[in-house]
Amino acid sequence: MSESTPSFFTRHQFLIYRLFSLSGLIPVGAFVVVHLLTNASILGGAASFQARVDLIHSLGPLLVPIEWAFIFLPMLFHATVGFVIIANGMPNVGSYPYVGNVRYTLQRATGMIAFAFIIWHVIQLHWLGTPLGGGKFDPHHASSSASLALQSPLVAILYAIGVLSTVFHFANGLWTLGITWGLWTSPAAMRRANAVSVVVGLVLAAAGLGALGGMRAVDVEQARATEKRMDEVKRLLEGQDPAAAPATSHPISQKRGT
Amino acid sequence: MIKAVEPHAIDVDAFPGTHGNGHQPATRPIHVRILRQDVSGGESYWERFEVPHEPNMNVISVLQKIAAQAKSRDGRKVAPVAWDCSCLEEVCGSCTMLINGRTRMACSALVDKLLEEDEEIELRPMSKFPVVRDLVVDRRRLFRSLERVEAWVPVDDSYDHGPGPRISPEDQEDAYPLSTCISCGCCLEACPQFNKIEVVRRDDETAEAFETRRKAAFDAAFVGPHAISQAMLFNSHPTGKMIADERLEAVTGPGGVQMCGNAQNCVAVCPKSIPLTRSIARAGRAATVWAIKKLFDR
Repeated sequence: MSESTPSFFTRHQFLIYRLFSLSGLIPVGAFVVVHLLTNASILGGAASFQARVDLIHSLGPLLVPIEWAFIFLPMLFHATVGFVIIANGMPNVGSYPYVGNVRYTLQRATGMIAFAFIIWHVIQLHWLGTPLGGGKFDPHHASSSASLALQSPLVAILYAIGVLSTVFHFANGLWTLGITWGLWTSPAAMRRANAVSVVVGLVLAAAGLGALGGMRAVDVEQARATEKRMDEVKRLLEGQDPAAAPATSHPISQKRGT
Repeated sequence: MIKAVEPHAIDVDAFPGTHGNGHQPATRPIHVRILRQDVSGGESYWERFEVPHEPNMNVISVLQKIAAQAKSRDGRKVAPVAWDCSCLEEVCGSCTMLINGRTRMACSALVDKLLEEDEEIELRPMSKFPVVRDLVVDRRRLFRSLERVEAWVPVDDSYDHGPGPRISPEDQEDAYPLSTCISCGCCLEACPQFNKIEVVRRDDETAEAFETRRKAAFDAAFVGPHAISQAMLFNSHPTGKMIADERLEAVTGPGGVQMCGNAQNCVAVCPKSIPLTRSIARAGRAATVWAIKKLFDR
């Protein structure tokens, strides 16, 4: 009789699932935290947000490989394994409506929402989406371009849903990660860890929604003026003529200082 | 929301004569609908039954009455409903079924409490195991999981090894709840990560070939919370831990602890209130250490 050998995925299931769990925290989760907190700096004004964006973009040509190695590829790995996990589970919250089971189901639902949201979000704002009519975020005009992209109420509502789903997925995932790796094992320890996860989730939800509201409330004209001044100073510091043609919308084709 | 742990404890109402029951209220007959199946792999169908109400009935006594009358509610003569049971005191673990949609032991499911939930009692066989007939299911996979994690103390010879190592009272208290597992399968039934596997024997297949194929199917799938908990129980036992590595190999193998999705239904439905999620988290911790050891100590 023919014994079929188990697939690569089955043979390395433990390792793959553990890497999946880890990738949710490092680097994907860590990126989400940094991303939401960076965005929330808009609440400190257009200059504050622009300064943080400039800091990130000061990586220059390194930004692209860093993005792929620490953000896009780990996210795609996490999402791929996540879909396998979802496909192998049979949610039964109707028969067993316990809190843990509701969270189990929500973890899967928010994972799928976050996946769809992030794809849309990247196309809409990241330069990768430019060929698809997106790529609306301009790192030289961080606040004004972000604000313009988020003005539609429908976009804002979808962003709120996307951000809250992502935050729930991260915070709840933080709690389950601790069980998976055996950080908290007793019911009491799980309760304490849960309280921490709830706080993390609330802080990130506030940061995310604050950023969204803050971006939409930006006075675009005023922000443009601030961004122009900051750009001039940067050019001056880099030994260029500050009055030369200001940086335009496509950041990658226009690497500053080259 | 229903409460996480159903109080299965027998209340005073279960003991006639412990308090004044001289005035039984006039009671209506009990209506029961049962999801039946005549043969394994056959079609399932609903059948309704009606039995006279008596005080202090449990689901088993309802099934006994149904078997005795062998008659459906509309008066047709039908084959008696088949079910499994043995101890009738929530110790043998054999009478698990879906009662009003939830997994529990039929012996400790008291009819009067069920009638508070719903006018009719609904009985279905467990959905995660192949049906043998009516409410009888084949729970071979549950026991195969225990084999996979070697849920025993490996003392298997006739030599006198002297007294075993002492176990501190603290460790005893820690381990005792895990040892109360009755292999009822409630945790597996409620687990959204534990899916039904029904391997059907092919016409041209020998019994041995079929058995091999079935074991392979079981062994690639989730072992389940009960087996993880038993692995932790025997890995904490001074003699049992002599093969701790073999158990961890199984617990981190295909279908091991990594399949847990942290829904924590297992601990919520366990009739013995076994801290299954604690065992799972401990298995996760042991697996973490084990994986690091395997990576660096070879």
